[in-house]
Amino acid sequence: MSDFHHQNVGVRRQGFSRRSFLHTVSAAAVAAGTLSFRDLMSLQAAELKKQGRSLIVLWMQGAPSQFETFDPKPGTENGGPTKAIETATAGIRIANGWEQTAKVMNDIALVRSMTNREGNHQRATYQMHTGYVPSGSVKHPSLGSNIAKQLTDPDYELPSVVSVGPTVGSGFLGVDYDPFVVGNPGQLPANVASAVPQKRYGRRLGLLGRLEDEFASRGGKVVVDNHRRLYGKASNMVRSEKVKAFDISEEPQELRTRYGDSNFGRGCLLARRLVEAGTTYVEVRMGNWDTHQDNFERVSTLAGQVDPAMATLISDLKERGQLERTLVVWMGEFGRTPRINPRTGRDHYPRVFNLAMAGGGVKGGQVIGASTDNGTAIKDNPVTVPDLFCSICKSLKVDPRIENISPLGRPMKIVDGGKVVDTLFG
Amino acid sequence: MFRFINRRFALGWAGAGLAVAIIAGLSAGATETGETAAEVKSTAATDVAAEIDRLLSGQLEKSGTSLADSTSDEDFLRRATLDLAGTLPSPAEITLFSLNPDSNKRAKLVDQLLSEGDFAQNWSRYWRDVIFSRATDMRARLAQPAFEQWMTRQLQQNRKWDEIVTELITATGDVREVGQTALVFSHGGMASELASETSRIFMGIQIQCANCHDHPSDIWVRDDFHQLAAYFPRIRARRIQEENRRSFEIVSFNVPDGGRRRQAFNPTFLMRRFDKDRDGKVTKDEVKDSPLARAFDNLLRRGDSNNDKALTLAELRKLPPPNNAQRQSSEYYMPDLADPSSRGKRIDPVFFVSKTGSKSGLRDQDRRAELAEVLTAKDNPWFAKALVNRIWGELLGEGFYMPIDDIGPEREASFPEVLNLLSNGFTANDYDLQWLFRTIVNTQAYQRQIRARDASDISLPFASAAPTRLRSDQLYSALTGVLGLTDTANRGPQRGGAGMYRRPQSGRGQFAALFGFDPSTPQADITGSVPQALFLMNSPLINNGVRGQGNTRLGRILEKFNDNDDALSELYLLVLSREPSTRETKIAKEYLDEVGNRREAFEDLMWSLLNSSEFLSKR
Repeated sequence: MSDFHHQNVGVRRQGFSRRSFLHTVSAAAVAAGTLSFRDLMSLQAAELKKQGRSLIVLWMQGAPSQFETFDPKPGTENGGPTKAIETATAGIRIANGWEQTAKVMNDIALVRSMTNREGNHQRATYQMHTGYVPSGSVKHPSLGSNIAKQLTDPDYELPSVVSVGPTVGSGFLGVDYDPFVVGNPGQLPANVASAVPQKRYGRRLGLLGRLEDEFASRGGKVVVDNHRRLYGKASNMVRSEKVKAFDISEEPQELRTRYGDSNFGRGCLLARRLVEAGTTYVEVRMGNWDTHQDNFERVSTLAGQVDPAMATLISDLKERGQLERTLVVWMGEFGRTPRINPRTGRDHYPRVFNLAMAGGGVKGGQVIGASTDNGTAIKDNPVTVPDLFCSICKSLKVDPRIENISPLGRPMKIVDGGKVVDTLFG
Repeated sequence: MFRFINRRFALGWAGAGLAVAIIAGLSAGATETGETAAEVKSTAATDVAAEIDRLLSGQLEKSGTSLADSTSDEDFLRRATLDLAGTLPSPAEITLFSLNPDSNKRAKLVDQLLSEGDFAQNWSRYWRDVIFSRATDMRARLAQPAFEQWMTRQLQQNRKWDEIVTELITATGDVREVGQTALVFSHGGMASELASETSRIFMGIQIQCANCHDHPSDIWVRDDFHQLAAYFPRIRARRIQEENRRSFEIVSFNVPDGGRRRQAFNPTFLMRRFDKDRDGKVTKDEVKDSPLARAFDNLLRRGDSNNDKALTLAELRKLPPPNNAQRQSSEYYMPDLADPSSRGKRIDPVFFVSKTGSKSGLRDQDRRAELAEVLTAKDNPWFAKALVNRIWGELLGEGFYMPIDDIGPEREASFPEVLNLLSNGFTANDYDLQWLFRTIVNTQAYQRQIRARDASDISLPFASAAPTRLRSDQLYSALTGVLGLTDTANRGPQRGGAGMYRRPQSGRGQFAALFGFDPSTPQADITGSVPQALFLMNSPLINNGVRGQGNTRLGRILEKFNDNDDALSELYLLVLSREPSTRETKIAKEYLDEVGNRREAFEDLMWSLLNSSEFLSKR
């Protein structure tokens, strides 16, 4: 029931521009006395909300080397000085520097056979967020926005899509699903706290509401209605108890230490708090992975921050019983060349790269696919970007073939092509 | 009105004497423009404006739609100043304009606004947003300031639209100096993206749908798209790396198809040619007058393993191969959908509207010049229509075709004969942009009142004005004007969510990261965002700006006007460019009583006006 219903509503919502939708619904609803748009939305939300599913993406901007993360090739020319360490799962070995992550390997599935063609940072970042290659004529929604549109309760007081650091936006899905960008994770974001005491803030909002009547009566009714809706949403956030989710200071010091005293560590803790509060998509970004020079030294520094944060995030979610409903994906835009260049760096290599997934029904303690011994090609089970996106959708119980209608009236599936990597799920 | 004049006299600074003197000056200066216009006869701006109104009102009345009244002077002044100058009128300008008894004052105001520098600046920013909002190469931000300056100059000189477009299509040079490279650089010189955007922006035809299949709802087929792309395969965006400066250069790549590849990456050949002193190493000095000079630092960075500032044969051989071999091709190949990894079919340039084609092997400059010529030719109807539809849509809030950049033979326009009339006039006036603005702003259609239209109203457009949302630059100018801040103030929102790689520096640029949108977006889809609302409600910029004490705008108003009615009128003129209504005065007075603290109540009033949808809209 829920799947069918949700698709039905999904298609209807996306089948029209907001404005023509309102035309259609007001006419149809009046004529038939049926449910209003809002009613339908609440019904859908109630169904899906019970599932409370969320996605956390740990985004390694710059493209992480597979050899120095989860697909080491010790003892080979291409492998370089990187060593492989044992993990909690017998038979799975990962690069040194990832000791904390190794301990939670029973909850992690590694994909070592990711393959793609985009070797340009911006284009690949766009593709790995939206599932589509960039095009000047249409701004594709990011997967996070797409999923938020399907899963978030419309009455949720905080933003449904949050990113620690600027990311790819909601494209033609518009402002409701645009990422709310947090600059300094762990504290309340800019302008969320009211500048005046709550009582006066409430008084101001009341005055604003009354004064808006004038413009509404002078012909601006549609504009005023939209504005009221938006201000309702924004002021709900300002006054919501839930904004405390942004402030990590109430977490125990011991836990904060485990996540790590870094922006990325605080970002991961924030992600857990937001998901708990009801946010559907959180992205935590870590830059500086573009290691054309001094690859080994730099990756070691980066891993020093990412490893404890990622491992703690997974175990923390698990301890709180949230891991089953929360999918965590660690990835970047592509991989790096097997050959080590003269500056002890590795260059761009989209042909083979790796990623890690945990939670959300994904079966941990396994490796999907493999690269060849020298790392230059995929040995088996190649996974493309659409395959990955279909799999993420499956984890979140969102139908990847739901169509949005682009502003030009072209139907666009959440994911075009690709198939679920079934072995990811137990 | 009587009370209004009385109050004005009391103010002292805009006494009747001054007002009359300025009005007299305006009238004297404006008679000449009327005479020159009359000579052009049927395509003169005023004649075409009158004909548009005759056609529109005839058809609207026939359909039973009543026309909204002409808007008030206050509203017209605000609307036209925002549209043409991109700012709000000052309270003094509002007073003078309202007092001016000249029956032709609106047309004169339009002439004056068109002749001022703000017009060029405002529309240059508009075109910057049109081009850069769809950039597929995020490095494009680098080129924004140069484009803005270049476009401002073109509009100041009233360069004709076909000349501007020709420059945008054929540009080469340093993207931080040659502003007209903006469009090409926005897409990294990629042929298929340039074909899509050239067609969309300059003809309103969304030909890219024919990229992979014949257009589903139009007459264009897949070949048409790829033949258009075949005008662009010889463009490259090349990195410029100097000591203290990074940029890119748009260059032509005029070597025979596939020719360059062998040469550039043949280390033995490079040694033989450049190692002039035969010491087994190539140095920067040895390549300095060759095509390799520019790339040499980059080669060193990537390949000089012993850091001796020279490259040996072994080092050259170790250099990684180029990332994308496709970029070495100087002809255009249409991808084979059945075999995406193959090179595809070679295509020669043909312009799909006129079906005029070109020989293969043409040099880049000749290719692009040829496209510019056929695209801007007067027998290409889409060139004029696309621009007319776009500007009309921006000024009136709705185009003849919607969305404004999706027109074409299979699309349906409202009032097609009005669009034709205006497009023909624009063509007959040799694509004179000021003519187009003058004509549209002088129509009654532009000057109608806004009227309540609820969402289910599907009646014909243009019977009343539609409120539209201010673009980021207009809003920023309005806000800094109202708060008395300087434009260059390096203050603004913390960081917007408007996309990656966007780290603007100036206050205006930071503001755009939060409030910017693509001007090709239909108005119905522009509804603001939560971070925007948070900024307007809670940011220090706004909350310090509305303080009622000290040397702020409100502080001075409260000090100068002891009477609450006067202070309220002053505040409304400042923020909303009009007098408060009776209802608003009543609400404000009740609020003053409720709060019991004059300064605090006025701060809240100003906060509310700045947060109102009316302030954010053109009305």
